[in-house]
Amino acid sequence: MERQNSAEEALILLRIRLCTPNFIFSLSSDSPDSNYSKLKFILSSSVVEACNNSVLLLGPRGCGKIAVLELVLEDLFKEFPDMITVIKLNGLLHNDDNCAIKASLSPCRNFIKLILVPYAVFLFVDEIARQLCVEHELIFSKMASFDDNSQFMVAMLHAYTYLPYLITRECGLAHKTVIFVLDEFDLFTQGKQRLLYSLLDAMQSVTSQAAVVGISCRLDADQLLEKRVRSRFSHRKLLFLPPSKEDLQRLLKQILLLPSDSTLPQDYIVEFNARLLNILAGERFKDIMDKLSCSDPTINNLLRFSAVCFMDLKSGFISLENFKAALSSIQRQPKLECLKDCSILELYILVCMKRLEVKEQESYNFNAVMKEYRSIHESFQTSDHYSRSVCLRAFEHLLQREVIAFLDNRGHSQSVEFRPVKLLLSPHELYQGLKSYRSCP
Amino acid sequence: MNQEESPQSTRRATRSTTSSTPNPKSAAKPTKSSSKPQTLTLENLVFRGQPLGFDDLVSSFPGRRSQILELMRLLGTLGSPMIPLFIYGGLSTGKTSVILEIFRHLNRPFVYSSCRTCYNPRILFESILNQLLLHRKSEGNGYLSAKRCERPSDFVNFIRDALVSVVNGLSGKLSSKKLGGRANGRMVYLIIDNLELVREWDKSSNILPFLFELYDVLKMPEVGLIFISGTSPDTYYSDTGYTEPIPVYFPDYVEDDLRQIFMRNQSNPKLFSSFLDVVLKPFYRITRRVDELSSAFSSLFKTYCEPLSDLGTVPNEEMKRRLFSHLQPHIAPALNEIFRVPSHPSIGATAKDKAKRKASAKKLEVSEEFEEIDFHMSTCAKYLLISAFLASRNPATLDASLFDSTGGSDSRKRKRKSSAKSVEKKETAEQELVMKGPGTFPLERLLAIFQCITSVSEYPLDEEEQGPTELGGESWDSSLMPDVLLQISSLCNANFISKGGSCPLEGSARYRSTVDEDMALKVARSLNFPLSKYLFRG
Repeated sequence: MERQNSAEEALILLRIRLCTPNFIFSLSSDSPDSNYSKLKFILSSSVVEACNNSVLLLGPRGCGKIAVLELVLEDLFKEFPDMITVIKLNGLLHNDDNCAIKASLSPCRNFIKLILVPYAVFLFVDEIARQLCVEHELIFSKMASFDDNSQFMVAMLHAYTYLPYLITRECGLAHKTVIFVLDEFDLFTQGKQRLLYSLLDAMQSVTSQAAVVGISCRLDADQLLEKRVRSRFSHRKLLFLPPSKEDLQRLLKQILLLPSDSTLPQDYIVEFNARLLNILAGERFKDIMDKLSCSDPTINNLLRFSAVCFMDLKSGFISLENFKAALSSIQRQPKLECLKDCSILELYILVCMKRLEVKEQESYNFNAVMKEYRSIHESFQTSDHYSRSVCLRAFEHLLQREVIAFLDNRGHSQSVEFRPVKLLLSPHELYQGLKSYRSCP
Repeated sequence: MNQEESPQSTRRATRSTTSSTPNPKSAAKPTKSSSKPQTLTLENLVFRGQPLGFDDLVSSFPGRRSQILELMRLLGTLGSPMIPLFIYGGLSTGKTSVILEIFRHLNRPFVYSSCRTCYNPRILFESILNQLLLHRKSEGNGYLSAKRCERPSDFVNFIRDALVSVVNGLSGKLSSKKLGGRANGRMVYLIIDNLELVREWDKSSNILPFLFELYDVLKMPEVGLIFISGTSPDTYYSDTGYTEPIPVYFPDYVEDDLRQIFMRNQSNPKLFSSFLDVVLKPFYRITRRVDELSSAFSSLFKTYCEPLSDLGTVPNEEMKRRLFSHLQPHIAPALNEIFRVPSHPSIGATAKDKAKRKASAKKLEVSEEFEEIDFHMSTCAKYLLISAFLASRNPATLDASLFDSTGGSDSRKRKRKSSAKSVEKKETAEQELVMKGPGTFPLERLLAIFQCITSVSEYPLDEEEQGPTELGGESWDSSLMPDVLLQISSLCNANFISKGGSCPLEGSARYRSTVDEDMALKVARSLNFPLSKYLFRG
């Protein structure tokens, strides 16, 4: 019982560790040439020496770009209290002008209120604007007529492009550094890139103290910038790469080892750690790690893998079987699973489609499949012959499972029977699936 | 699936609940004096009803034991944070009901929203926010949501505030140690169902990556996200990728599980099990979905029990054999009708003959001819349907030969000897016709064929006029022309005729018949119209 309690506590501790990214990445950022220290150097220099910097953080998803940035910002806040303002914009959320403006203004509300009054005339009229202005105690002049829409849009455009200048200027005057964090940077580069241009342009003025940090998972994000934007961008890029196998192993060890100063009973900790080290050093575990990192070597994948690991509460320890089970549940083959789920009639239809493809018919539809089905039935004399409506329904099931798909996107001008379809499984997958099906005729 | 109470109705309280701590949120809401107070507390986030033990949970979902265990393990004990989950599997495999029952067993607060009822990002966001802010749409506030939220950025801000307040409420409840509450733990779970429908909302929107990134964006360890979808995760792959949630797979049921599912809640288990012995295997080869099988079985079971006078008897071997022989002729047609939605009880008369016709394909088609169409259509509409079908199937050049003024169909000059090559050509032409589907025709052609057909019909169209005299036919046509046009439009609405694209040269709309051959044959038979003579067979 006591063992179970401590096992539960240990489990909770490990899960909390796995779900907070900051812990993970603080472990790996001590070395001097890591991305963490480089980023810290860049940002602190822009705070201290009041120079304007822009940097891009690139790397595949799950490599810890945001986590490292958070760590750096935390440290900077500790070092330079009250001198930094951070504005976070996300490409997914704020790809619309209004949202970006609102998101930008809220962190700066303390010292912008008085300054924006003369510009309030240009500000927008909808509900968000109303709330925004009330928030910031601005005088709100209502532009009542929507008829002069074009003038309104022009005015809004001015306000929009002025905003970063305002922010940076005021922050510069107040001796505060603004750090713009642009998440999903590549989504900001769609369209006209107005925001990017005005941001980077605002940084060029003397009185501003700003830094722009862009985060993206596309490695060519700076190629997406327009020429004028790119010229204002200092081409500093920090590449985040997924760690090597040894690093991964080391990381896993650090995560899973229980600390000796926690509230758990000491002997449990010792035994747990000993067993874990034993497993981690073994050959079979290395195989598991190889398999895992072959497909997706990012840290996120590792975390998901660990989260799935089952710790047997009775014995209170993680064993090798748990790791194996976790690996198989993470690496799934959904199409094979789908095939196992199909009923026999659906399998018939799939086989018919494959035969049609083998006969080199480029496009075929349900009627052709039915003909093939009938010919199979006549030649092999099976007992599985069903009527057309039944087959049609099975066909629709297959569509729902997304094993087959329509070739054209024309909508519903024709009924289901006549639209050309294609098979989304390769022949190899189909064959494998049929072999593994238990009661297949 | 059978025993799931609809979560919406059980989760909301219409009266103030058992919690004794005064909830500041409900106090702030103005309560109407006349109607009952619609205050909601944090209790409403938990599944109401009897708490469920673990054994009950497992036994109520046969065959799902391993999935239930896996889900409970991934959810973790009280207060442990969680990486988002992605539950996927075929349809009607019990994903939604399993996860809801698990939450009922665990007594943890959750928020459920389905992308089928919330067909818009805005409705989805507002539904989640309403539930979190414990706001209910009622007459008092004019059926408005708590906050108007259209864009993802607003949603993130609102939900952060709402979650913070809910979590504070929950932890306040824990620390105050009052006995009314049943919600466990400090975590709130968001369940989003039917995720595969989100892909079709708006192709250019970012809703789907946004939902997947929600966990990272929120950065609150007290919230857990669970996605339920009918299609596997590889159908969600996009160009830029996203952080993948942990997949949990629900496979379809195997035969033993299906048997166990159907055996539940049966009044006479032995009788039903002998029925299942007969019926389950052949039906299993067609489909494995519970909802389709159950509807098919219910009607079959009635015929199975017909010779029994007393439904409570336990059948012995001899009776089983007798029942089986009674049922057997019904199985084969039932297999073919498995997906039919019964409109009204119309049991075919020739049940026994159909069993013999299972042998070959041709005979199957013949057997279907003996069925009647089971809805009512006026004569004029039936003729229109046939004309539309003919217009779609036959190429326009044949019309002259088929429908000349004598209305004859025998004077076809088709008796040439056809060489092998032309036969082959005809076959390929027929194949192409089959492939391309029904052709389009303009309205004038439809009316022309309609006139030709009705002028030679032997059916009295109009009660007063007997016999198809030439003069009578014409006057009938002119007087009923607006009626015909009305019929055409009603056939369009009923999807028998669909409007195709308009020809750019002529500018008039073209139509297309969406009726298949069996249906047209049935209609023609009911009118004693020799449809097969008019069809172009290549």
